[in-house]
Amino acid sequence: MAGERAPRAHVVCRADELPPGGRVLVNLDGRSVGVFNIDGQLHALHNRCPHAAGALCMGPVTGTTAPTEAGARTFVYTQANHILRCAWHGWEFEIESGRCLSDDRVRAKRFKVAVDQGQVVVTI
Amino acid sequence: MIDCDVHNDWSSSNVLLPYIDPTFRDYLLRGELPGARGSFPHAHRPWLHPEDFRRHDIKPTTDDEHYSFMREHLLDRYQHDVAILTGEEALEVSTLANPHYASALARAYNDWAVDTWLPRDDRFWMSLIVAPQDPQGAAAEIRRLGAHPRVVQVLTSHGSYRPYGDKFYEPIWEACHEMGLPWAVHLGGQGGINYQPIGGGPTTYYWETHALLLQPAMTHVASVIANGIFERYPNQKLLVIECGVTWLPSILWRLDANWRALRKETPWVKRLPSEYARDHIRMSTQPLEEAATKQQLWDVLRAMDGENMLMFASDYPHWDFDAPDDMPLPPTWMDKVMDANARQVYTKLPRTPVPWQLDAHKEPAL
Repeated sequence: MAGERAPRAHVVCRADELPPGGRVLVNLDGRSVGVFNIDGQLHALHNRCPHAAGALCMGPVTGTTAPTEAGARTFVYTQANHILRCAWHGWEFEIESGRCLSDDRVRAKRFKVAVDQGQVVVTI
Repeated sequence: MIDCDVHNDWSSSNVLLPYIDPTFRDYLLRGELPGARGSFPHAHRPWLHPEDFRRHDIKPTTDDEHYSFMREHLLDRYQHDVAILTGEEALEVSTLANPHYASALARAYNDWAVDTWLPRDDRFWMSLIVAPQDPQGAAAEIRRLGAHPRVVQVLTSHGSYRPYGDKFYEPIWEACHEMGLPWAVHLGGQGGINYQPIGGGPTTYYWETHALLLQPAMTHVASVIANGIFERYPNQKLLVIECGVTWLPSILWRLDANWRALRKETPWVKRLPSEYARDHIRMSTQPLEEAATKQQLWDVLRAMDGENMLMFASDYPHWDFDAPDDMPLPPTWMDKVMDANARQVYTKLPRTPVPWQLDAHKEPAL
């Protein structure tokens, strides 16, 4: 597309600096990006919440409650450490898909991330 | 045309004596009353209307006059097809501390209304008044009379002991669902055990308080949605009567925003609050807010899908009566708001909607 720059690979950190449960925040060509290690899998997301431009990647990585029956009003805790809650307003996103739990039409922007020769590389 | 809020008053609460359980007949006959003999046992609100809350051009005294004046000033004048009777002081049973007495009075009212009001006019359909502070007693009453072909809703005051989505009221929701009746919440019950009818503490004057009458209704809407009542009872309706209208879109916007962030707190709430409201909540029009311009009013009403959410109510014979032939609504909505929407909700009514006829009404001869 005219005006859109070609994707570029950026070295973010060494892979051993991002262990499981870890996160790094970096600025890549003026774009704030959060890189997460969830159970050994790396995920890179735009640190800008699609709801209201909040600091998405600075919020807690946590779980949430699964939908339950209204009759019993019980709680089933699920997706532990797979949900990112925006630091500002608390909208919930699945880290693996970017899917917003309260609005299926909303997605958090994800970037390609890989380990190359011991370095974490994000392509945006 | 369907009028969703028509008050059928009595000459005296003594009319209930033949209907009330013997145990509580003694209470009504000899027990303490809030006013003279013939006044109705209830805890009154602390805001007294300085000019009486009834219209001054209609002053019935006998029980026959209560009906004949209503026929003249309302039913015939505006050519009602349906009038939903909502009682008068009976709604105030919700203020009494003694739940047994409250339920006994509600039962007596319901039997009196069935016995003496319904036979007077085939335009009458009625509400079943229950004492919400006695959920088991209320549920029993709903099952006792809910199948009556002319009983179209369960009615409680909007002043309440707790928000109506609270688990405390589960038996009432269950009984409403079982009998296929909407739960209607009507302005009232602002006293006695319903000790928090106004947020922030008691206001001072009647008119100031009356303008805030929407507050407990907001609470009930939020509570019923958050507690998953409409997930549990997928066909259940909540009707909000005489609590104003234009606050609804604002509250729903706020509820939607908070649910999006904190849905984890109530995992049984699976859709946006506004979606539950669209499918399960209806509002009666009166007292319709008098906006500075009709355009401002219509913008807000459109934001709440007023064409499908609103049901006309006059609140006869009260001081804030809305006349059916003077409703500042978009003309294209009239068929629905004045008739068809209520027929969707009150499923015992004849199914065929009656189109609105703007020119049908004439000034009465003086």
